[in-house]
Amino acid sequence: MKKAIITSLTDDRPGVLASISASLFRSDCNLLQVSQTILGSEFAGIFIVSMPENLNEDELKKNLETDLRGENINIHVKPLKESKNFEKPSDPFIVTTFGPDRKGLVSAVTAAIARHNSNVTNLKAFFHGGDNPRDNVMIYEIEIPKSENLKALSEDLNKLGEKFSLEINIQHRKIFDNITKI
Amino acid sequence: MLNDLEIYSTLDMLNNAHLDVRTVTLGISLFDCVSDDLERFKSNIKKKIRFYAKDLVQICNRTGEKYGIEVVNKRISISPVAVAAAPFQENEMVEIAKTLDEAAREVGVDFIGGFSALVEKGMTNSDRALIRSIPEALSSTQRVCASINVASTREGINMDAVNLMAKTIKQAAHKSADKDGLACAKICVFSNIPPDIPFMAGAYLGIGEPDAVINVGVSGPGVVKNEIEAALKNKEHGLDLGRIAELIKTTACKVTRVGELIGREVASELKIPFGVCDLSLAPTPTVGDSVGEIFQSLGLESIGLPGSTALLAMLNDAVKKGGAFASSHVGGLSGAFIPVSEDLNIAKAAELGLLTIEKLEAMTCVCSVGLDMVAIPGDTSEEVLAGIIADEMAIGMINNKTTATRIIPVPGKGPGEQAFFGGLLGHAAIIDVKNRTGKNNFVKLGGRIPAPIHSLKN
Repeated sequence: MKKAIITSLTDDRPGVLASISASLFRSDCNLLQVSQTILGSEFAGIFIVSMPENLNEDELKKNLETDLRGENINIHVKPLKESKNFEKPSDPFIVTTFGPDRKGLVSAVTAAIARHNSNVTNLKAFFHGGDNPRDNVMIYEIEIPKSENLKALSEDLNKLGEKFSLEINIQHRKIFDNITKI
Repeated sequence: MLNDLEIYSTLDMLNNAHLDVRTVTLGISLFDCVSDDLERFKSNIKKKIRFYAKDLVQICNRTGEKYGIEVVNKRISISPVAVAAAPFQENEMVEIAKTLDEAAREVGVDFIGGFSALVEKGMTNSDRALIRSIPEALSSTQRVCASINVASTREGINMDAVNLMAKTIKQAAHKSADKDGLACAKICVFSNIPPDIPFMAGAYLGIGEPDAVINVGVSGPGVVKNEIEAALKNKEHGLDLGRIAELIKTTACKVTRVGELIGREVASELKIPFGVCDLSLAPTPTVGDSVGEIFQSLGLESIGLPGSTALLAMLNDAVKKGGAFASSHVGGLSGAFIPVSEDLNIAKAAELGLLTIEKLEAMTCVCSVGLDMVAIPGDTSEEVLAGIIADEMAIGMINNKTTATRIIPVPGKGPGEQAFFGGLLGHAAIIDVKNRTGKNNFVKLGGRIPAPIHSLKN
């Protein structure tokens, strides 16, 4: 099955998803997976679709641009390959940080995670400033290969905590699931 | 994706409310260590404890790090020594206690429980030998804990054993007089002792238990207090005692699930079965980790004042309900502890005279244990002490529940003075006992108080 991934970026407003999905339908594409979020006032959507064999990615992009003309939506289309980057057996962990906003926080934390061959699968961060630690939060969902040393990653993160005056926690996801989901 | 509130509430419980796994207790059967040769028996015990427990501490620490929750204590419970060591005499029992202490030290656990006898209906020679050895055994070791079951709903109260225990406790206090009778903090006298308690000093491995098993004790009075205070602060609509009991139940459920998660993982790593999770609100002498503070959060000026028994009944029941919903394998004591010296707030109530031994006894009718870590004057007579123990056992027998005493007659000290036990055992004001040096001919009659009518269930 031929698959493509489409990313879209535009000002958020009613009807954005409707317009994009209608255009995909007109090109005879089948939606397989969708993720959308709103950051600030900006809409970002990612769509994975299966597409007809006789349609290529350039043609699909052209169809979308034609259909969505005037709606000021940035569209990018690329063929989807099956990922082989992170297939090692791994465990899901949650890294949380609370503390003052500083430039370079995400960069430092993600670099530490990457150094331990771990993959960020979800990141939510907001920095509102001020003294309340709950106003400056990063929540990373990460996959740590079973072959990696958790203690070493934990120590690396703690060093960052000291450097940036952050409270950093790293815990297996199951503790959150067990406490909050019955 | 977890939502933010789920993450915040979990972190609050773990980081700000003293939620911890109070103990992972490895139960080890000693029945296949049996020998009538003392040296061989001791060697067998050491080998078996080493075999099962050599990685216990390391695995508990690793599991704690993985989930971001501290496993505070790692402990061992064993088969009742009076049964496993049946051929031996008093002095040999002391040798066995020293071997257990050494084995516990070797594998890095802080307590080993099971220097125990089950004597509710009668005593064997080895039961007597073990009980008589307790003062020397517990004052010459650090990690060994003793528990003696002297009563049950099925069998009644063995008053001869009660008297013997009163004498034993007095002797143990005398032998550890330089430490305010510390040896008595490691002796529990029980009615209806559960076979799977993970908490000390009452932990032992029951007769019907597996060869090895992991039982977990979770605590969290601070978590319950925080939840109650948050609800009161937010002025939740319709917040009455029914709603508060629901809140405690929900919180207890969450806490129990943490315990089961940790217990199952440790058991799986050790390749032995998981037994039970015991959620007990077990305080420590730390601000924010107190059962007494829950009483104040709910509007009582102090634990011990009128309303305390009703409050404790609600608390204990809600904790049990939450635990039972969270896990199908809830056991041990599961409820609320009120150990006087181990809870800063309760110790303060005793110091101010707001908590008397009579009120404590009343409260034990509805809590999950009994007269726990109660320091009494050192000159309290054996007969009076036996009377206190018998009263507590009667509550357990008649109400078909576990009750226990862990009483310390502090040598050389009187009412109002302070006894210092150190560490988790804390310190407390010595509580007065009425007519403490008087006679008690009732307990001296001895024999067995018959089992109550509701024991006839067959």
